[in-house]
Amino acid sequence: MKKVFALDHHRLLLCLGPGGVGKTTISAALGLRAALEGRTTSLMTVDPAPRLLDALGLDLTSPSLQSIDLHGFGARRGGRLQAMRLDPRAIFDRLIDRYAPSPAARSAILTDRIYRSLSGSLSGVADYMAMEQLLELTGAPRPASSASDAAAGSSAELPGPVPAEVVVIDTPPACQALDFLDAPRRMLELLGSRAISLLAPRSRSSQSSGSSRSQSRAFSVIDLAARIVLGAFDRITGLNLLADVQSFVRNFDGMYAGFAERAAASQALIRADSSAIVLVTVAEPEPIAHTREFIASLAALDLRPAAIVVNRITAPLPQESALDSAGLPPALLRKLKRNLADFAVLKRRETAALDTLRTSLPEPTPILFAPDLGYEPRTLADLATIARHLHPAEGGIIIARR
Amino acid sequence: MAPPRLIFVTGKGGTGKSTVAAATALTLARHRPVLLVDLEQSQSAARLLGLIREGDGPSSPGPALSNDLATLTLSPRAELEAFITRTVPISAISRRMLKSRTFGYVTAALPGLEAFLTLERLRLLAGQAALEDRYVVVDAPATGHALELLAVARSLIQLAPTGTLNRLALAVDQFLRDSARFGVFLTLTPAELALREMLAAVSTMRSEGGIAAITGVINCVPAALFSAADMMKVEALPEHAGLARRRRGLAHGAARARRELGRAGLPITELPLIFAEELTRAALDRLSCTIGPALGLV
Repeated sequence: MKKVFALDHHRLLLCLGPGGVGKTTISAALGLRAALEGRTTSLMTVDPAPRLLDALGLDLTSPSLQSIDLHGFGARRGGRLQAMRLDPRAIFDRLIDRYAPSPAARSAILTDRIYRSLSGSLSGVADYMAMEQLLELTGAPRPASSASDAAAGSSAELPGPVPAEVVVIDTPPACQALDFLDAPRRMLELLGSRAISLLAPRSRSSQSSGSSRSQSRAFSVIDLAARIVLGAFDRITGLNLLADVQSFVRNFDGMYAGFAERAAASQALIRADSSAIVLVTVAEPEPIAHTREFIASLAALDLRPAAIVVNRITAPLPQESALDSAGLPPALLRKLKRNLADFAVLKRRETAALDTLRTSLPEPTPILFAPDLGYEPRTLADLATIARHLHPAEGGIIIARR
Repeated sequence: MAPPRLIFVTGKGGTGKSTVAAATALTLARHRPVLLVDLEQSQSAARLLGLIREGDGPSSPGPALSNDLATLTLSPRAELEAFITRTVPISAISRRMLKSRTFGYVTAALPGLEAFLTLERLRLLAGQAALEDRYVVVDAPATGHALELLAVARSLIQLAPTGTLNRLALAVDQFLRDSARFGVFLTLTPAELALREMLAAVSTMRSEGGIAAITGVINCVPAALFSAADMMKVEALPEHAGLARRRRGLAHGAARARRELGRAGLPITELPLIFAEELTRAALDRLSCTIGPALGLV
């Protein structure tokens, strides 16, 4: 029986990998393949460089999902592709809109110095926000909304008019990818940390979550230590952190419960059976070494890849013998032979790198190959070519057939 | 003109930052001792130079291959700890700070702080290198994160209007703008996206107040080999024609990069595509000779 590699029972494909291996291309190709196979698919990128949407010819300034015209690509019935670029700050702002207990609290936090610096930075918070967006796209249940939803108006709604059957996400390069997977846990830890809650003045604790109410009993000792430490740091550095953190925590008071719930849901989503981690790499020594290290770090988090996609695989090389009988001018013949020999060396390097990958896998993991087009994919048609030619080492592949 | 004391190598992922950093270190090491600094903890450049073996973890010490070439891996967390220990005079307080979870959360929540202290360390390394007439080569993160790193001093000046950090941030800001002490190598491959990302980086660096890009390093450039007339003649052999087109595509990509970089007023360094199963030390030496002119070295 023909072996079939199937990702069809997965609803979320998280594409991770080192920089420069074509993660964005492979994410798009996987999403396109799912759409062509008849699924409603959403594709999002957290890459600071808007390459994906660029390749798909979409409006880069729009913060919402945009439909991609698949006319002429032979998509099965029901197949649909939507894509978007993630703007962490906009999503964070919308979350504040949603969870702020009052309009005054909302504007206080939106102008907070620490909040601005947090939400504008790309590390950590962007990862968390990507997760938040994923929850939205995969249709995870929304927690009960607060009164501010009505006050914030329709502009506060997160995008995603059509619930997706498959969501493909393109993440930042692998060195930050662990941060990405770990973001909900860290956010949860930060929000749940008794020390951080205790920095807040007590006045508003009656409005806050149950956990911080119970913490206020242990107020004095930890609070004092934290204040001393931050106070000393402020005097030395001139940062004025203590006051800032206090105002940040005070402003955030009342929003903890909502945020913690979302963070916990994100964490569960990554580990759900319907979610798959797809590692993207190329068959070259350096990226393969990174990929191996990355698999080990995933294992430490008790996560494992569902598949590895090796991008830019060189097609089998032609026979040299065909050249001799073609009646070519001798100079051209020499050049063609040299070119063939050069690429044969690269092909050997590729094969050796693949062998290293195969033999180093701690457990059997499906490996899929994506062809090298010989040029950079620029159009939807290029992506479709890659999508159609995605194949495992042996057997067939189904991304999303019903 | 002498090279800057510290050369910061960045570029899009997969364009050969580590290879270029390793080759640059070899170029400079022919003249003066060099410290090769890794900010990514991958130690890729050191591996390429055979300074560490496969399987050595990031915690392994960076031994010097010779007196002329040594390696160092910087970790942002360690820089923060070193900074606290250095600036807090009472060790009981500094220990308490480092152990405090709140402090950990707050510093983690200020993403710029650890990055800034890494820059401060680079400034100190460059200063020391100037005193001892040595050079520092930094294998930096990919463009996006490198640009955030370089911008962090300016935002810290705003965030800490007085005090130690403010003083340090001003010093770091000056350091980044001093072409005798700090210079950037931007790497790219003959590919459109790499080129676009690099041109955007050049304009960001300029608009943010004159951080000097020394050269754009176009990596993996093959000899074109085939003329347009050649291509007509091979058409009957589609597979061979495909390989020939691929080679020409790379050569044309490099030509385009040369034009665009020239238009942006950036000096160009070109490194050949090496058709070899392994990037040997001999190959790195060959690349390093190509880099010399960009640094005013022969």
